[in-house]
Amino acid sequence: MITIQGLSKSFTTRSGERVDALRDVSLDVGENEFLTVLGPSGCGKTTLLRAVAGLVPWDGGDIAVDGSPVRGPGPDRAVVFQNFALLPWATVLDNVAFGLRMRGVGRAERAERARSLIATVGLEGCEAKLPGELSGGMQQRVGIARALTVRPRVLLMDEPFGAVDEQTRRLLQEELLAIWEEHRMTVVFITHSMEEAVLLGDRVALMSARPGRIAEIVPVRLPRPRSRDVGGVARSGEYAEITAYLWERLRDMHAEHRPDRAHRPDEVAS
Amino acid sequence: MTLSITRRSAAVFRAAMFRKAFPHPNATIIPGTTPAPGATPVPSTTTPPNTTALPSTTTARNAPTHRKPRRSGRGPQAGPRPTRPTGPLRRLLDMNLPYQLLTFAVLATCWELYAGVRGGLLLPGFAETVRATAGLLGEAELWRALYVSNQALVLGFALAVVVGVPLGTALGRFRLLERYADVHLNILLVTPMAALIPLLVMSVGVGTVSRVVLVALFSVVMVIVNSRAGVRQVDPALIEMARSFGAGERTVWARILLPAALPAVMTGVRLGLGRAVTGMVLVELLMVSDGIGGLILTYRGLLKAPQLYGTIAVILAEALLLGAAAHWAERRLARWTRPNPSRTRTARSQR
Repeated sequence: MITIQGLSKSFTTRSGERVDALRDVSLDVGENEFLTVLGPSGCGKTTLLRAVAGLVPWDGGDIAVDGSPVRGPGPDRAVVFQNFALLPWATVLDNVAFGLRMRGVGRAERAERARSLIATVGLEGCEAKLPGELSGGMQQRVGIARALTVRPRVLLMDEPFGAVDEQTRRLLQEELLAIWEEHRMTVVFITHSMEEAVLLGDRVALMSARPGRIAEIVPVRLPRPRSRDVGGVARSGEYAEITAYLWERLRDMHAEHRPDRAHRPDEVAS
Repeated sequence: MTLSITRRSAAVFRAAMFRKAFPHPNATIIPGTTPAPGATPVPSTTTPPNTTALPSTTTARNAPTHRKPRRSGRGPQAGPRPTRPTGPLRRLLDMNLPYQLLTFAVLATCWELYAGVRGGLLLPGFAETVRATAGLLGEAELWRALYVSNQALVLGFALAVVVGVPLGTALGRFRLLERYADVHLNILLVTPMAALIPLLVMSVGVGTVSRVVLVALFSVVMVIVNSRAGVRQVDPALIEMARSFGAGERTVWARILLPAALPAVMTGVRLGLGRAVTGMVLVELLMVSDGIGGLILTYRGLLKAPQLYGTIAVILAEALLLGAAAHWAERRLARWTRPNPSRTRTARSQR
């Protein structure tokens, strides 16, 4: 579904330093696959997502969605943003319908489709509210509904639950899983939480920082539907094992930037 | 910050005065709510130490409160507030108008007293000025002058908005344009505009055009600077979001930049209006003796001090009215910046 080949992008910092945000990143995401991308902060995972969304140019490599190369934003993809990116002056209904409006859908159909998605994310009765009157979790529900109204084949989620509290985050994760079970689509989900990556993803793409590249792809062979309930996969030993393994890898990555804390002095010395 | 503290202490003071003036039949002044010195709750020796910080919530008047406790560094204010009495008097005391009227009355009294001692031909008293103002309002001369002046004001201000809003928003969006214009804008911002009047009169003449241009020059800077700031502070995530759904530059302007910048643009328009009124009067006083400024000069020449004061009062009234109208429009168009009106008061007082 998504093919990324040898993608690289660098930028110049304010001090004139050249930084490789992404170097030779290759990645395939299958049809209706839920891929989570995990990495330390500053590893370029958001840049990767923005490139797939067609929002930023890159230096080398190719991205193709469903065989056609990405040249910019397209109707086959929709993005859920970390800080929600809701229009503060528009009602929940108008916010959810915003994507449809951009795509030239008529008013009546817009309202109808937006209302049905508002119901899906559990915000009935909030149609006329402004984003400022909603909690963070409710705001991100609006963001998810807005992305889903345009019926994308690929949903790109940039740390969507990073700005909400832990309890809300868990609720949103379960709701997202429920929605995805019902409407299967390809999802690329950026996160910095090991638990989130494992609970949601079919595979976890582990990225390393500076230069940003795919360090490893960890398959998560846990049965679906997944949940945190008693008897759910989140209580299983395999879940704990993958999570622990991911943390080990991430900790080593962090340690590489702190030689004094390195666990493998021989590698640091080389 | 200073403002909010002043407001808060004013509110506390008001509440205290209110209780003093209208004591509730079974009311006791509760320590911890009055700012009176020495009212700090003293922990009794029998109270366990971990409860001393919190005044008992079972106090009769404290019990029904639903207000959030105020976060304040000052001891006497900590803890839940007693429910305040409600009613027409309470609402009156919560408004700003009574206080404004009170300061006005004090100033008017001082003026009247001073004029009684030092007054004469050139310094009319307050009452005399009021009479003269009322008289002026019945004269065609004043209305003609107002008409002439406001012609320049309306045209000049409209010109400032029509030029300033597009220019300011464009400057906020396009870096290159900004580079060209920044230095000129800064010059315009610090130049005393009054210094330009002779220059304008010499190059454009003493007609309406000259006055219109000056009014526009006076107000356009405020409009430009605020519009620019409005566009600059738009959350880039919103622009990116619109682009992710396929919006082009034109749609981004229509659906994101302009709505987001509107509150700041309106602030610029309001501030610009104030400067436009200044410009209007100034140009007539200094160079083009016409309109309301011309009227002031005429009365000065005739030594008609009460009328002179009356004319100034009329200008002040107009400025006040226009300012209030602009403020109202600004608040109406920017409702979303205060999404929950019922919450704003609390939010402000807790800042």
